[in-house]
Amino acid sequence: MESELQLIGTEEKDILQEIMNIAFGNAAAELAQVINIFVVLSVPYIRVLMARELPEYIKSEVTGCDSVSIVEQDFWGDFQGNALLVFQSGAGRELAFMLNGDDGIFEPGVTDRFESEILMEVGNILIGACVGKLAELLGDVIQYSPPKVLIENHANDALPQNFFDASCSAIILKTMFRFNDKDIGGFLFLVASHESIGWLKGALAKFMAQYDE
Amino acid sequence: MSELKQIFDTINLGLVIMDRELQVRHWNRWMARCSKIAPEEILGRRIFDFFPMLEHHLSFQRNCKSVLAFGSYAFFSQKLHHYLFPFPPANSFEVKFEQMQQSCTMGPLRDESRAITGLFLTVEDMTENAANEQRLIEMNSQDALTGVYNRRYLETRIREEFGRHRRYSRRLTLIMFDIDHFKMVNDNHGHPCGDFILQSVAGAVAARIRVTDCLARYGGEEFSCLLQETDLASGMLLAERFRRQVEEMEHNYRGTKVRITISLGVSELRDDDTLEQFVKRADEAMYRAKTGGRNRVCPEPERFELPFNSQLIAAEGPLAGERPFHS
Repeated sequence: MESELQLIGTEEKDILQEIMNIAFGNAAAELAQVINIFVVLSVPYIRVLMARELPEYIKSEVTGCDSVSIVEQDFWGDFQGNALLVFQSGAGRELAFMLNGDDGIFEPGVTDRFESEILMEVGNILIGACVGKLAELLGDVIQYSPPKVLIENHANDALPQNFFDASCSAIILKTMFRFNDKDIGGFLFLVASHESIGWLKGALAKFMAQYDE
Repeated sequence: MSELKQIFDTINLGLVIMDRELQVRHWNRWMARCSKIAPEEILGRRIFDFFPMLEHHLSFQRNCKSVLAFGSYAFFSQKLHHYLFPFPPANSFEVKFEQMQQSCTMGPLRDESRAITGLFLTVEDMTENAANEQRLIEMNSQDALTGVYNRRYLETRIREEFGRHRRYSRRLTLIMFDIDHFKMVNDNHGHPCGDFILQSVAGAVAARIRVTDCLARYGGEEFSCLLQETDLASGMLLAERFRRQVEEMEHNYRGTKVRITISLGVSELRDDDTLEQFVKRADEAMYRAKTGGRNRVCPEPERFELPFNSQLIAAEGPLAGERPFHS
């Protein structure tokens, strides 16, 4: 992997990490409070990469499963980019309980056939909460594209290279998530687009200014 | 009339705007037409007054809350939820669905100070797509002649169950069977009679299995039945029931009475199996049933090869009294 690009300084990175930590904590708390979804989000981690390195990075980070499904959602505001949720294959079936409730609203067999639909619904909720709370702290309002399943049950070591514009550099924000009472988890990567990095630096400065006064 | 208002009322999509209390603020003509509720009736009223079922709709409740709390986008896929609003299908000739199949989305609406003041809802009619998709799935997974699953579907199911066996050590058993001397039936009574027999054998066996099992026409006069949560001994018992049932049937095709028998082989998935080995062992067992005299059930060989005869006796167990395997 190439050496980290100097898109943001060390201090900025620390602040962003701190903001993410608060934002994702808020997201988890509100998911539990508002819609009874209990999710544990790990302390986030930040890296700056060239976009073409992303498949390789995901492969190196997502260990312990042979094949994965990836849900992608674009978001745009002043802060813009893509959110990628990486689940291990078969997670959709296990996650059906979250959407299904105790009464089992889905007819039998549906959750097997439409695993990708479940991944999109769960992914949409998780991405919406995390990105929404992050944007809120940075003073931004975000809109989202509908989620799509980018990759379904694909070998982890053979992810397509054409995720993004290869020449693009990106800030990657990574967290691991796990649904409390089930042993199902995955990774959330937020890829901040190159265009929004200038705005992001400004927003980080503004965030810090609150404390400097 | 503003341009946006014109679009709002002519677009081929249901559009609803609600405030934070889910009182309807706007209700476009598409919604009025499908629901037969005029805008003046519903404006200012809560959506639940007209659609009480939504009050108990888990996903609707959760998505509204998540849109209002996080400002996120939400959607209801037709595949999972089928519909949100119980409207009759627009095309009366499409009788597959009692309700219009819908794909719905939802998102936040904000005021100048960026506070979320409500949400919008879009409703798209997906009935025709859903019907086409269902037709495609049927065509792709069913055998046209017998109505049981086809080989393609069986192989997909075996692959899925194989994964489940690996993850949860679920037991899985496969029965392969073939109609004995089927060529003679075709030669003596004609192909339409052969087709009739294929249909009635498939129908009789299908009536004996659980919904979770998968009966498929593997090709020609050969069928397979995949049994979830079933070990070899239970698979043998069921196979013997198939055998006896088919033996007892009299097929009456336009006055011609025909009796046939089947030969069956059974295998159970092993931990170190490949997919091919699993299928091959059932196939080989069926072949032994054929060469052993037909109209019988043979299990796969035990892991440590025993002489041919002692294997059959060992695995046959409870059926020994009912049927002589070595006649």
